[in-house]
Amino acid sequence: MGGKTDVWQGTLALMVLRTLETMGPQHGYGLARRIEQTSGDLLELNYGTLYPALLKLEQEGYIRSRWGASENNRKAKFYELTKAGQRQVRRAAAEWEQTTEILAKFLTAAEGA
Amino acid sequence: MMRKIRAMWKRLLGLVRRNRADEDFSAELETHLSLHIDAGVRAGLSESEARRQALILLGGAEQARQAHRDGRGVLWLENFAQDVRYGMRTLRRAPGFTITAVLTLGLGIGACTAVFSLVNAVLLRSLPYGDPERLVYLFTPNPNLKIPAEVICPSYGDFYDIKRESRLYADMSNFEQVMFSVGIAGSAQHIGAARVDESFFSTLESPPDLGRVIGPEDIEPGHDKVALISHSLWVSMFAAKADVLGRDVQLDGAHYRIIGVMPPEFEYPFKTDLPYGNSHINSTQIWVPLVLDAKQRAVRDPGNNVSIARLRPGATIAQAQSEMKTIMARLDKQYTGETAELKELRQWGALVEGFTAISVGPVRPLMRLLLASVGLVLLIACGNAANLLLARAAARERELGVRAALGAGRSRVVRQLLTESLLICVGGGMLGIGLAFLFLRTLPRLDPGNIPRLSEASLDWRVLLFALVASLLTSVTTGVFPAIGASRLRLTESLKAQGAQGQATGHSRLQSGLIVMQTAMVVVLLAAAGLLIRSYINVVSVDTGFSQAAVTFHLALDDRYKPGPPQSAFFKDFIARLGALPGVQAVGAVNDLPLSDSESITMLWIEGAPNKDFQQSEGRTITPQYFSAMNTPLIAGRTFTDADTTGNRPTIINQKFADTYFPNQSPIGRRISTDDKHAQWTTIVGVVADVRHTSLEEEPQPQVYNAAYDFGYAYFAVRSTQPPSVVVAEARSTLKSIDPNLALTDVHTMGDLVSIASARRRFQTSLLTAFAAIALVLALVGLYGLMAYSVNRRTREVGIRMALGAQRSDVLLLVLKNATLLVGAGLAAGLACTWLATRAMKAFLFGVSEHDPATAAAVIALVLMSGLLAAFVPARRASSTDPMQALRTE
Repeated sequence: MGGKTDVWQGTLALMVLRTLETMGPQHGYGLARRIEQTSGDLLELNYGTLYPALLKLEQEGYIRSRWGASENNRKAKFYELTKAGQRQVRRAAAEWEQTTEILAKFLTAAEGA
Repeated sequence: MMRKIRAMWKRLLGLVRRNRADEDFSAELETHLSLHIDAGVRAGLSESEARRQALILLGGAEQARQAHRDGRGVLWLENFAQDVRYGMRTLRRAPGFTITAVLTLGLGIGACTAVFSLVNAVLLRSLPYGDPERLVYLFTPNPNLKIPAEVICPSYGDFYDIKRESRLYADMSNFEQVMFSVGIAGSAQHIGAARVDESFFSTLESPPDLGRVIGPEDIEPGHDKVALISHSLWVSMFAAKADVLGRDVQLDGAHYRIIGVMPPEFEYPFKTDLPYGNSHINSTQIWVPLVLDAKQRAVRDPGNNVSIARLRPGATIAQAQSEMKTIMARLDKQYTGETAELKELRQWGALVEGFTAISVGPVRPLMRLLLASVGLVLLIACGNAANLLLARAAARERELGVRAALGAGRSRVVRQLLTESLLICVGGGMLGIGLAFLFLRTLPRLDPGNIPRLSEASLDWRVLLFALVASLLTSVTTGVFPAIGASRLRLTESLKAQGAQGQATGHSRLQSGLIVMQTAMVVVLLAAAGLLIRSYINVVSVDTGFSQAAVTFHLALDDRYKPGPPQSAFFKDFIARLGALPGVQAVGAVNDLPLSDSESITMLWIEGAPNKDFQQSEGRTITPQYFSAMNTPLIAGRTFTDADTTGNRPTIINQKFADTYFPNQSPIGRRISTDDKHAQWTTIVGVVADVRHTSLEEEPQPQVYNAAYDFGYAYFAVRSTQPPSVVVAEARSTLKSIDPNLALTDVHTMGDLVSIASARRRFQTSLLTAFAAIALVLALVGLYGLMAYSVNRRTREVGIRMALGAQRSDVLLLVLKNATLLVGAGLAAGLACTWLATRAMKAFLFGVSEHDPATAAAVIALVLMSGLLAAFVPARRASSTDPMQALRTE
């Protein structure tokens, strides 16, 4: 599978929300780059899948968008978290932690056996 | 869940704003690429290499756009829209089918919606009172009086005893109906009013819109000159001004202070709210306090009051009934009647009846009849639509076969058919709502005046919902039948030539079944309508005992005319002047006009005969020329003269009286008495024909007439060669010349009164006839459609028959025989159903048996004839088939 891994189903939304939480408003390209950097360049993000994910989050009301100027003065669409989005980050993060904990128990148990 | 809905909403918006969103995303993508390229260039790549890498990482700009677009829109909705567009196209290609199906459903849904609106207004819509289910009327029926049980309410003495002792009522009230003469815009008008006690409004739980209601302080003498007015009076008299409170209103010349205004819909009691209310009062516009002194509150003889009470929550009418029975039984032992006439009658019973049972109870059967018949119309319409769709699905078997062969899934085919039938139903539903509006517009013109709230019938949301559910149900039923047919599709057979048609008739058993069922339902409706029409004819041709040409009006004298000679003088003068008008042939007056809902009952004893207890007769007081003015024929003896109006006044009886009390002997010269002491005997001098006094449909009762001139109020009857309008105008000016302060009211010809009395019957008869006609047309369309369809399917067969030597007449007969079989089966089934169904109609019939053979014969003839006519056109087409052409089809 090489050094890089694909984004797992359902995790991209959480990554987007979490990134927006820590970094504040971001445009699509910036978000994509930031997600790659945060993963220590271990993730290979297909940029084409990012935009439908953003669209879905916006439809669900977790993020909102507006047009603004980028750092090198290009017109770009910026995304930011809504109140509901902030709640959703906490909820999803907690769920995800629980999931990994459970999985970790299985994995360690398997190793121990 | 909310998130899902919100997302769906945004997606739906996405469909609408598709173009703008597309541009928006293109711009965003553009930025993304430029930012990415900028970064690449900064990292030292050439611009073209940077662009290439950016595009690779994006996975292609167009793909990204498509993914975005899919996320924005709703796939199934777009598919559905495609189905709808395709369905519209196919329907447009078959306009005959589409128009017939939409019309059929529209008629069914429209008629159904309108009638449901009507029933809703009459039976279901809430009344402007607190929970009407807990409102009850209290009556004291007397077994010795041969009058309806709901005429007499408890006497004041009894009422207050019940009120003190009962624990079952939240509140109880008494009121009396009264007419007031009110000066509005310079002219005196008679307005329906009620004197109500302090508990009236609290019993009804009806608060005023403005001001306050009548309370305990208002029923004290000296403080009672206060009034509440209705909303419509507030608008017409005071232009809906807020400063109406405290203003003065003159009722019968006395000054009242206005203390409140009731809400628009509150005009209790309406005429239909009371079983035997004042017939002059259609609705109540003014409420004033009912003042009773201690003596009046203890009266033990019934008066003109109406007693209404509100049950406590949880208390039932049955409990109230048994409690009142116990109390009344005790009171009947404790007290005797106060007047001589009522002494022997102290046997007041107890009857508690629900308010809704009284107000809408009488029309409930009619509403049920209308619902049932309109339900049949809807069923027929649905059957028709189903048949049309079935025929169409069968005709498209090949097309569907081709589509299946090309890989359309069964569900896709069924969905396409369902979409089509849904489209037809939407069309039918819209047409139906339009028709319902039209129907409700014309309805008030048929208003018989004695169906509560009929004029208020309008389409409301509930009705709209009903129409939508009806059309949805229809769409499911009509969509499911062809879908079942389509799912039975055998791919190879439908692709083979037309040899696969199994049935000899060219249509399926299901289709035949539908036609037979429709015909049967039409037969039931036609028979019901026929019976009602015959009843109506019987009612309007009943011998009323009076001339319909007589012009009548009401005149009430005021306090200036004292009973006795002053009143007599006025009436003699007025009648003489009326009689002297050109063209006038006779003028008479009577205290209670026929068909005016008023009656006085008198006890009677016959001299020299074995008298039974409680013999009763209706009694009327008339002026001598009354019979002549009304054209009531004299059968024996003589009519009255002026000499009969004073002294020991003689009596004239009607035919029914003579037959009841003097069978096979002459009543002339016999004497009767109307008081229990027999202090006075009056001689019978004449017998006149029976007059339909109570209603057109009730048998006349024994009747005695006496002559007089001293009336406080009376109805006049004028027989003249002049038209009624001239008679009335001249009567008005004559009255003005005698006394300008008096007014004629209730101007009618007797023909008008007959028309009003038969209005309910006209209403139900015309409605049911209209439904039956609609149903007949629908069923004929269905039969025509089926015949045309099967003739079409059998073109080849007919061609072969003709090629083998069949004559055109043989072919004609073949198709007609087929149609006759279907219609015949429907007739047989329908007549059997009619036999059962019309039994439920017994209460609606007059002078005709529910199994009237003439009606049945007429229905059979009508259905057979019209059925053959509907089949004749397709039969002709079949018989004119050119065999060569026919064999070449397919």
